[in-house]
Amino acid sequence: MTGVVVVTGAARGIGRAIAARIAASGPTTVVGVDVAPELALSEELTPVQVDLTGANGPAMVRKAVEATGLPLLGLVNNAGITRDSRLINMTDDDFAAVLNVNLGAAYRLSTELAPLLGDGGSIVNIASRAYLGNFGQFNYSMSKGGVVGLTRALALSLAPQIRVNAVAPGLIGTEMALAIPEETLEKMVSAIPLDRMGTPDEVANVVWFLLSPLSSYITGHVVVVGGGRSLG
Amino acid sequence: MTQTFWAEDVGDDWEEILAELTRAFRNSRQAAQEEKNFVFVVRQDDLLGRRGSGNAMVATGLLSAARTAALEGSRKGWTANVVAYDADVERKTVERWAEHLLSEGSVNGELIRVGSGHIGKALP
Repeated sequence: MTGVVVVTGAARGIGRAIAARIAASGPTTVVGVDVAPELALSEELTPVQVDLTGANGPAMVRKAVEATGLPLLGLVNNAGITRDSRLINMTDDDFAAVLNVNLGAAYRLSTELAPLLGDGGSIVNIASRAYLGNFGQFNYSMSKGGVVGLTRALALSLAPQIRVNAVAPGLIGTEMALAIPEETLEKMVSAIPLDRMGTPDEVANVVWFLLSPLSSYITGHVVVVGGGRSLG
Repeated sequence: MTQTFWAEDVGDDWEEILAELTRAFRNSRQAAQEEKNFVFVVRQDDLLGRRGSGNAMVATGLLSAARTAALEGSRKGWTANVVAYDADVERKTVERWAEHLLSEGSVNGELIRVGSGHIGKALP
């Protein structure tokens, strides 16, 4: 594929692995978007450091894409944050922060960039296994459930030119997961049939599949990459 | 606070969508603090993404939030569920299902779909 793919939250973790996977697959320019300065250190990216929740954030990304002079092939809405607490203790600020980044940014950027996507374009939204429910994550779970709804609605409205799918990672060995206390982490892993955390590369492979023509007859679906955690 | 929360229609503006999700959050938080069962009521068409991104994000967001709330409530004895209804279903029918879920208490984290519009479709 020759063109541009935009990946948000590309400075680290799953987003960085996705950007690297795309870059390794051919002559595709990856526009990596993040608020983190580490973004510029990644060789595979054309960096755009922007706050996607800001009024002009999506428009700045659009300008960066247009500046490449290349066609937009795909968009990966990956940027996400957590602000966990039980529902009874959750603050308005923590609720709004998570919804604005995880859902609002994905929605606004998809709306901004969809007109640039040509026939065969693909949007992949990174949801989470938490859309099925996860203790202490009312805000995060709601945001990722919203991403699933966004995926379905866009898949219907942008068809047949553009496909839209979602990937829902389970426990993945990112900085975020590795910060979990060891005892808790062991308990979480013990509930996974494949008996381990996933890797960012394993998520990136599925994202690449959904971006590429290999998945040309798939739209509006959620692929759970969770080692079977949701089965039993 | 209401124990039966009906999702309102939203447009395409993110601030409007966020306001509706926030209204649901604040209502749910108060219900949880008072250890009361609650039900979200959404339109089937919105769960399936048929009426635009805004309404879809609200409906599926509430479904996922109810699943998480249900996990938290299961430790305290309260429940959270969702009722999704087809456009041709009478309001009193939906209310009856919601009231049953609120009063019964043995169903938790569940989606009840009233009507036939979902048959053959993938569940969000």
